Order: sequence, then C-alpha cells, then structure tokens
Amino acid sequence: MDASQAGSSNSSDFVRKLYKMLENQTDENVVRWGNEGDSFVVLENEKFTKHILPKHFKHSNFASFVRQLNKYDFHKVRHNNEENGQSPYGPGAWEFKHPDFKMNNKDALDNIRRKAPAPRKANQQTDDLMVPTQQMDLVNGQLVATQTQLQQLQQRYDELSIHHSMLLQEVIGLQKTVVNHEHVMQNVMSFLHTVDAQQRRASRVAIPFGQQGGQVQNGNVETQPAQATPLEDDIPASPLQHASKLLSETNADVMLNPRNLEHMNEITMRMNGTLTTPPPEFMRGRPASRGGGPPSATSSTSMRMGDLDNLVYPVGTNQGIDPMYSEHINNIPYPLPTKPAEPVAESRFQETRKKSTQVDPGWVRPPQILLVEDDPTCRRIGSKFLYAFHCQIDSALDGLEAVNKMNAGSKYDLVLMDIIMPNLDGVSACHLIRQFDNTPIIAMTSNIRSDDISMYFQHGMNDVLPKPFTKEGLLQMLEKHLAHLKKPVAQMDGMIAPQPLATTRQVLKEEESPAKSPATASNWNSPNQVPGISPVSNVTDEYMQQVQGHPGAYAVNPIQGGIAYNTSPQMQMQARQQAAAGHRRQISDISGGDEMNNVAKRQQMYNGPMQPAPLNPMQPRPR
Amino acid sequence: MKIPGAADRIDDATFEQILEMDDDEEERDFSKSIVYDFFTQAESTFGKMDSNLQAKDLKTLSELGHFLKGSSATLGLTKVKDECEKIQHYGQKKDATGTKDLSSDDALSSLQTAIDQAKKEFKDVEKVLKRFYHDDSSPTRHQFCTPNQEIPHHDSIHLLPH
Repeated sequence: MDASQAGSSNSSDFVRKLYKMLENQTDENVVRWGNEGDSFVVLENEKFTKHILPKHFKHSNFASFVRQLNKYDFHKVRHNNEENGQSPYGPGAWEFKHPDFKMNNKDALDNIRRKAPAPRKANQQTDDLMVPTQQMDLVNGQLVATQTQLQQLQQRYDELSIHHSMLLQEVIGLQKTVVNHEHVMQNVMSFLHTVDAQQRRASRVAIPFGQQGGQVQNGNVETQPAQATPLEDDIPASPLQHASKLLSETNADVMLNPRNLEHMNEITMRMNGTLTTPPPEFMRGRPASRGGGPPSATSSTSMRMGDLDNLVYPVGTNQGIDPMYSEHINNIPYPLPTKPAEPVAESRFQETRKKSTQVDPGWVRPPQILLVEDDPTCRRIGSKFLYAFHCQIDSALDGLEAVNKMNAGSKYDLVLMDIIMPNLDGVSACHLIRQFDNTPIIAMTSNIRSDDISMYFQHGMNDVLPKPFTKEGLLQMLEKHLAHLKKPVAQMDGMIAPQPLATTRQVLKEEESPAKSPATASNWNSPNQVPGISPVSNVTDEYMQQVQGHPGAYAVNPIQGGIAYNTSPQMQMQARQQAAAGHRRQISDISGGDEMNNVAKRQQMYNGPMQPAPLNPMQPRPR
Repeated sequence: MKIPGAADRIDDATFEQILEMDDDEEERDFSKSIVYDFFTQAESTFGKMDSNLQAKDLKTLSELGHFLKGSSATLGLTKVKDECEKIQHYGQKKDATGTKDLSSDDALSSLQTAIDQAKKEFKDVEKVLKRFYHDDSSPTRHQFCTPNQEIPHHDSIHLLPH
C-alpha cells in the first residue's frame, strides 16, 4: 500500500489495492494485466478467490469483488465479436476494463471513482453527463465491432447464397426422382391390387383360410404366378418389374444425401417467402398433409418438405434394405394385426422391462452410440441407461467434439445430441455432420415447441427425444432407429409374431392418438380392408404367404419379411409421425403433472410461430 | 419408492428410474454419486450466478439457468428445475413463462428473486436427499452468498414434517 500511496493520495483504496495486486507478478498465471494493458484478467477464478482475494482484499468472495468493481464502473469484457465468442484468455477467464485503469499509468487511477449511489434508472443518465468522452469511446468501439460483425455476416451470406443456388439445382433433380418414385409406387399399388383381388378370388374358391395349413402355401406358390401372367395380358415387363427397374435406376440418386438438399430447399423457400410459417405438421398436421393419399402428390412443385420426407425415405438412409422389398410388404392390403393381440405382446414387454434393469433388446451386436451432452448429470444417467440397454457408448462434451469425432472417422449407429451446448450447439453440429455422414441423429432437448422441432428436422435431425428423457422413451428410440441391429428372431417363448413386429406395434400403440388414427387407417384404400378381427397368427400367415407366393419377384424369406416389415419406410414414417404428434403428450407425461407449467408450455407451442424462435437459423445461436 | 419428505419437490417417476439403476439397494453407489455430483454442480453454478448477477451479465445468467435446469430436470427435482427455467427466461429479458419482454432492470430484480428461490429450493431438496442417503452431515454452507446479500438461512425453517 505504501508504494501506491506515494504515487497518489486521491485514488481510492480499492483501486490502489487492485493496481498493487497486478504489480505483483508472482501470481501472473492467476490474475494479470490484459494483453493490451488496458484491462485485467482473472484467469483462474477459483485460485483467485481462494488465495489472491484474501491477500489483498481480506475476503474470499468473488461475487463481492465483482460488485466492488461494478461500483467503480469497471465492466466485464464480453467477447461476442470473436469467431466463437470465446475470450482469448480461455473460456473461464473474467476480463474487466475501466478506461482509466491502465498498466503504467498510475496517475489515471485518480479518475476512477466510486459511482454515486443513485437510483438505478437515473444512474446511466448521470454517467452520460459526467463522462461523455468515456461513453463516446465505448459506443465507438461497439460500432466498430458491430461493423466487422456485419461484414462477416455479409460475406457468409454471399457464400451461402452461392451454395444454395448450386444445391437447388440438385434439389430439382431430386424432385424428379421423387416423381419417379410416385409412379413406381402407383404401379406397385395397382399391381398389388390386381394380385390381391385375384388371390381373394382364389381363396374364395379354395377352402377357408383357417383350415388351410401348409397345403395352401404349396398351392399358392404354384398357382399364383401362373394365374398372374394371363391376367396381365402377357405384358413382357409386368408393372412390378417395370417399377423395380425404375426404382433401381433412381435409387442411386436418392442416396446422394437427400436430406441436406431438402433443408436447403426449405430454407430458400422460406427466404423467398413461399413458406412463411414453419410447417406445423411436424407437431400434428402430418397425417393431414398426406390426407389425399400418396398418389395425389405427383406434382413436384406443389410438394412441401413434409411430403418429400414422408414419401421418400422418412428416416435417413434406408439402412441397407432395398426399399423395393420392404415397401411392397407394407403395401399388401391386409389389415395390420389388430387389437386382440396387443395386450399380450405389450404386457409381456413391459413386464420384462420392469423386472430387470438390464434390458437386452436383442441386438445382433452392441450398437455404438455417441452421446453428446455438456451436462455431466444428464450424460452419466444417459450413459447408464444406454449401458443397461447393452449399447457401447462414446460421449462428447459439446457439438464441436462430436463433429470432430465423426469427422475423424468414428462410426456410430446412432447419435444422441443435446441442443444447447457451449462451443457448438447441437443443431449446428448436426448440420455439419450431415455434410458427410448420415448416421441417425436424435435431438435430446427440452425445447420442443413446434418451430424448434421443425428446425431440428430441417437441419438433419432424425427424431426428437424430449428431456428429461425416460428409460422407456430412450429404449423406444433405440428400437425405432436401430431396428436393423435387432436379432431376426421369428419367435420368442412361443410367441407367434416376430419380435420386432411386436416392438414396433407397441410404439405405435403407445403413441396412438385418436386424432390421427383415421388418417393412418385410410392410407391404403385396400379393397379388403376388413376392420379385421383376425388374430395375429392369421395375419402373419397371410402376408408371409403373399411373400412366398412370388419367390422370383420378391426373393424374401419369411424371416426377412419380418424384418423388412419392421424397417420399412412406411412403417417408420408412421412411427415417426406418431412420435412427432405424441411429443405434446410426452411433455405432460414427463414433467410430472405440473399442470400450470404444462398449460403454459402448451400455449407456447400453439403460439409458436408468433414468438421469435430462440434458435432461429438466421440468428447467431445462443450457446 | 417414495422419498420421505420429498412431497412435490421430486418427481417420483423420474427419480425412481435412476434409483432402479443402482446395483445395490443398500449402498446405492450410482444414484448417490450422481446426486452428490449434482450438489457440487449446483453449488458452483449458484456461485457463478451470484458473480454474474453482480456483473449484470444477463446472457450468461440465462445460460447458467438452462444448464442447471437440464440436470435438475433429469433428476426430477421439479422445483429447482422450475426456478432455473425462470432464471433462463429472465436472463433473456422475458417474463417467467418466456412470453413477454422485460426491461433490463426488471429482469435483474426478477433474477435476484429467482436465484434466491432456486437456492432455497435446492437447499430443501438437498436436505431431503441427504436424509434419503443416510447422510447426516450438516448441509453445505452458503458459499455463494455475498456478505451484504446473505439469503435467509433455511436451517431454521422446518418444512419437513418428520
């Protein structure tokens, strides 16, 4: 204190102590002058609080220190202008600045005075009058910073517009592919209708179903193709063959990462004002948007993203299964296994799940999961659950680490991604990953307003798992997106339906809401959509038979039939729709019946588009 | 399993699924370490909130609120979570539900209240949980309080009927 006292007598105690503290360079790695000498930086908050503060200020309370600084009009320096918003002194550093607090300028310390204790509102004005030059400097600095920021944004924008126009070209190509798909699907449909009608005729002639047994299967194998050919008037390429040819031709195009292009298209469309509000069908309208049935959506220009999504590959890649095969199985106009079978399968599953914490969903190999989460509590619990589900877990602490891991070539079967994280948020991370990888990515977040959710999908997320997630919800996600890793068990403990089937059905049932079941039911206007009361065994037989009836064209064995059924795009699409529609319910389920809260949230969701989205893609994202 | 004294502070279903992951129902190593790590995490987050409240750094306060909201929600600590959500909103200069805009001053004073309330809710639930884990050591001190703004000591408040 004596040294500084010699220098000046006017400056305040606190400021002199502060200056003296910085003169002492032994603690340089904890607190020191900033690089320009016009600020000072607390590098290690904890050490500073524990060791330095008591030495100089006789207390160890950082908050109180900051308050003191505040009183003397020091300001915390925020680094919003830098590339990543990080302080050059490291993420945990605190930098403080006062225009008169400079290295090697002890005299200026006299100008640092305690602010007059004025009412908060008047405060700023008095300051304005007292130190106009200071304020001018500050404003000036802010202006310059804003200008640079604007410039950077402009550059980035130009860059992106170029990308957009390039990508849009590809989108147009893709849309053509989609149209082709439409034709194919129509072909498949009409063909299947004829086959179906025929088969019904055949089965009417033959003995009723229940008593047929193995005899019929043999009979079908032989009679079906023979009958089918004459009916098609000996067309050299049957519609189905034609369709499969078309499909295999277009398939490659679709594999060119369609998802990214869809996003670009969507964003551009929005910028052009074509689409002013975020598509609400992510929350509820999905089935409605396809109410007219698939064939109605033939014009590529009238298609919206939701349609594209639904009609092509609803969930990322087709996971190595030729859509041709899975598709037709689902299209077979037989009713899905109906209610009577459900309680059995379901209660069975829930029982097994409850009984042991170690649920083995029956993987072919342990799925590799990447868990991206900055919060240690969530990360540990998530890992523990995944471990219980026999998964192998890798974790990343933020989006940047996740992108780096995937870019470095780590292969995962699924990525669980938190949204709000430091360094790089989940949506941006997902967007980056989608530039080179198609691994399913699931957003884990408590921000599940409809515009948030549609934004997640636009940036390539495959699904949303609302936070705080439940074990059940997590397992359902795994089973939904990792169906290709499930063991192809046809029966378990004498159960007739294949296991994957039962699982999917459980998902469907739980997510089912009365509002959309009619739409789902009317998807395929099959001629014999009997409001079936057929037991599971019968139905299984029915479609297995159908499969066996065309060994040449379909080349699927019964077991694969089961898998394909489960992973077929159509099936997943429904599951996804329902999952999306089910989110609202899940929130209320999860947040523990806090009614007030739920009402508020629900209102937010309905009013969604009117509020500024917190993660609007056009704005810098909050960390 | 019902946590004694938890009342509406802890969401049973959420917390129970964490308890289910314990290998040993007596030791409860896993859930205990998660919960105790959360205590540490919460204390340090509250400390940061205090500092940033003094520095009037609303954005950081909102981020801190969001951060603690995530972990408290994952543990099912409903009341702490609710307060953290408010902190998150106030930090964005929004009202408690995140719908209306607030002035900086209103946001700051609301933040002070919400942070104090969050600390109180945390202390309450910490006590309940420590009792559940048979830990009778006195609750951690309020290291994060500034001398002038010491929040009321809750040691004197007997919210728990047992």
